[in-house]
Amino acid sequence: MSCENPTTDPDALMNRRPKFDKAKTCIKCKIAEGNIVIRHAVYCKDCFFPLLKTKFKRSLEPFVNRLPNGPRKKALNPSGNLLIGFSGGLGSTVLLDLVHKSYFSHRKPRESGGEVEAVPEQQETGAGDRYRDPRQERVWKKAAVCYVEVAGAFPGMKDRTEDIQRIVESYDDFEFVPLKIEDAFNGEWWESVDQCPSSSLLNFDISNEELPFFQSDSTRLTPLERLHTYLSRLPSPTAIPSTIRTLTRLLLLYTAHSTSSSHLLLGTSLTSLSISLIASVAMGGGFGVSEEVQEEWIPPRSGIEGRKEVGVRVVRPLRDVVNKECATWAWWNGLTVVGQETVPGFKQTIGGLTKDFIIGLERDYPSTVSAIARTCGKLTPKDEAGGQCVMCQRPAQRGMEIWKQRISVRSLADLEEAPSGIPIGTQENQPSLSPYLCYACHATMTSKSSRANPSSTNGPKLPTSTSDSKTVSNLVPLPVWVTARLFGPADKVQAEDPSREGSGDALRDGEVWRNVELGREEMRTAVKDFLLDQDE
Amino acid sequence: MLTISLKIEFAGGLELLFSNQRSHRISIPSNPASTPNEPPKRADITYLIHWLKDNLLKERVELFIENGTVRPGILVLVNDTDWELEGEGSYELMDGDEIVFISTLHGG
Ligand SMILES: [Zn+2]
Ligand SMILES: [Zn+2]
Repeated sequence: MSCENPTTDPDALMNRRPKFDKAKTCIKCKIAEGNIVIRHAVYCKDCFFPLLKTKFKRSLEPFVNRLPNGPRKKALNPSGNLLIGFSGGLGSTVLLDLVHKSYFSHRKPRESGGEVEAVPEQQETGAGDRYRDPRQERVWKKAAVCYVEVAGAFPGMKDRTEDIQRIVESYDDFEFVPLKIEDAFNGEWWESVDQCPSSSLLNFDISNEELPFFQSDSTRLTPLERLHTYLSRLPSPTAIPSTIRTLTRLLLLYTAHSTSSSHLLLGTSLTSLSISLIASVAMGGGFGVSEEVQEEWIPPRSGIEGRKEVGVRVVRPLRDVVNKECATWAWWNGLTVVGQETVPGFKQTIGGLTKDFIIGLERDYPSTVSAIARTCGKLTPKDEAGGQCVMCQRPAQRGMEIWKQRISVRSLADLEEAPSGIPIGTQENQPSLSPYLCYACHATMTSKSSRANPSSTNGPKLPTSTSDSKTVSNLVPLPVWVTARLFGPADKVQAEDPSREGSGDALRDGEVWRNVELGREEMRTAVKDFLLDQDE
Repeated sequence: MLTISLKIEFAGGLELLFSNQRSHRISIPSNPASTPNEPPKRADITYLIHWLKDNLLKERVELFIENGTVRPGILVLVNDTDWELEGEGSYELMDGDEIVFISTLHGG
């Protein structure tokens, strides 16, 4: 490892500041002996609890009402239910507890109906005579907790759904929604979240940078087998954890959507936020950095008539709380942290190395880590987003391909001898995934590390159909939401311009697809409105 | 040799390295000699960390110790107080002390 660890630098050790400023007395009540040091500040146990609760509420409540940062005196009035993403890890264990203590325990079920009158902050207590006090009511009518089991992705990993279920059910008010990571490839799950089943399955050729996609007959594969095919074909070890993250995120978002949740809460602490921000920039996700901090997800059209599409706001209420504070809260409240199993090989990935670096930094220079997260939170991409990436459904950068060509050392000759060996001419007639991906997703699927591409020694081949068994090795199934987007019933072009009906049908209907060969331009015209615009 | 009794707790996943047992009661020498030439001195937390490694730790030492102290990301409480307020590794242990090691590494 070439990254220098601050703890091994003798100068850093000698000049290290004392871990706390001034006295050992609590800086809040100024009476009690301190029990815990948080970023150089000393707190006693009694002052620690309200401190953490305040940080949690400060990062959540301004985002509860539909219009963010509304007047603070206005009562909390979310437009939908609540979904909490729960991993069993430290952050989400603390999040679950804080949500329950702050908004559910000792509160009456929320009455349905319109606006709730504001109550001045000072009247928090002794409001028993008030007919309807929003502070005595739950903020969200319903709350569900979603757990995505990733064991399916890693043979030998223990399925911990039962342990997780016990914890969730120890809170009376939360509904438990257990999912599996392979549900990302499961049509039944897709229907269960109220999405239209796709008329077809798609595979793509991961050995070709263009990522051409094909109609597939792999219906006989189980979702788990499809997941394994997908993961085993990824080009680098770093790609696996970032893929798992993306799949988990979309599973959570669609679950939030189907439970009519206006908010999805994640237990990302300041520490883990800093890790993922740095790792994400390192992996080419710089454009999405502001979404790591705060995001609003609007699902692509479901194609279901009369459906009102409501966005899901993703909030990380612990984004100002470091892991040490979470661990202290969990310990002093007697919470069980099931823990997350470490993904095999994670330590060697960009994410794993970044984690070691940040954790070391946080111990020795506790203020630096928060500075990282704050800086990243302020970063906004220069270019306007060009559309929504079909894989991660985050805003994608306009003209991704052009930009990639600019920074790439590839020449045309390189391209013609690309490992896949597919002649350029064939690609011209083949729709491909790459224009519809954000830079980070494209890099995840195509950036090689030291691992050689196995197909490079096999000579040229023409994977024009999945029935050709020789080509199966490079063909990878797509997650259900990607297939739905590329091949699904939602067809904005058709809806807005009847003259495009023909090509719209061709995209939509498997029968027509097989018989009509669409040119690349024709294809692009047909789908342009809900895909990235790459011509600018 | 004089000994002191301590209550040791592991949490946040660290217990997995210690036979999956959260709570341990141990007795350690109160004045261990660090080298034969040095006079014995009072047992401190640094000594305890090495004692735990030699006597209780079952696997993967690198997840507990790094550069002679606990690995970054492990929080240590001495009688319910952050060890950073108590001199960290140089805190001198007393009979009946309760020392808790909590891993903060199990992310979101
Ligand atoms: Zn205090
Ligand atoms: Zn993407």
